[in-house]
Amino acid sequence: MDCRAALMEIAAKADGILSREAEAGLAAHLAVCPACAAEDAATSATGSALRALAGIRAMEKAPSLDAMWTRVRAGIGEGREERRHASWIARWAWLPAAVTLAVLALLFYPAGTDRSPFHPSTFDVSVEDVESDSATVALVDKGEDLPRVIWIIEDAKT
Amino acid sequence: MPRPDLRGRAGAPALFFLLFLLLLAAIPSEAANTVTVDVGAAYASNEGTSIDPALGTIRGKLRSMFNYTSYRMLDRKRRTLSVGETGEFELPGRRTMRATPLPARGDKVRLSIQISEGPRNLLTTTIGLRRGGMVLVGGPTHLSGVLILIISAE
Repeated sequence: MDCRAALMEIAAKADGILSREAEAGLAAHLAVCPACAAEDAATSATGSALRALAGIRAMEKAPSLDAMWTRVRAGIGEGREERRHASWIARWAWLPAAVTLAVLALLFYPAGTDRSPFHPSTFDVSVEDVESDSATVALVDKGEDLPRVIWIIEDAKT
Repeated sequence: MPRPDLRGRAGAPALFFLLFLLLLAAIPSEAANTVTVDVGAAYASNEGTSIDPALGTIRGKLRSMFNYTSYRMLDRKRRTLSVGETGEFELPGRRTMRATPLPARGDKVRLSIQISEGPRNLLTTTIGLRRGGMVLVGGPTHLSGVLILIISAE
């Protein structure tokens, strides 16, 4: 193993991704190469120092982290309470909307002019009497399948 | 803040409740001693060849009964009247129609109808028809054609 490869493996070892076989090969090289051994020692010391520093920072931040976690838990509890309240609203929110729509339907149901087209069920019609003061009126019957027609012929206009 | 989902649980009962109320709104005209008179005013002419889809299933019947090439719905009005109560319907051309339901038996409807143009009485008639039945009253001139009144009772 040359020193260049050894330096790469030292970095991999510090990252914890070096295999056991490679680590054995690296150890053999470090035993005969003082420069690489010094680099390995420095790198290992740096890792330990960083871990120690992270521990110190965590200790320093622990009170504020606890406080934050307390606030998070309080927020979760509050959210549950809000959801419970919201589900009650959701359960009954449709009622005023339905009542409003029903009132509108009752008010406007029979009065509209835009309705479905004519679909008569029967043309069975009896005409009891027909008269006019100013027109001639004819009764037209073209069979049961067609509607009966009362036809007004306006005298003054024809 | 999380928003409640109102669609899932609230939608279905609201829809059923609304349909139920609409059904209730539709029932009284049948159940009570009333007649719903529906009057459509159609304009028949030889201007063009279009037939208004609003005329529904009677489009073909109009074409087979009359010689006009164009039929257009001008207006449609509907009144729910008690027996003896007179309802007035404004028609195109300053004409009016007055309809009065008369006593009848079973599913029959008797209507006294009067159509006038100003002081002139164009038609006075009494007709009897089944609920859901229809009669046509035509002939009064309008523009370059005639008016055809489509009168039905429910």
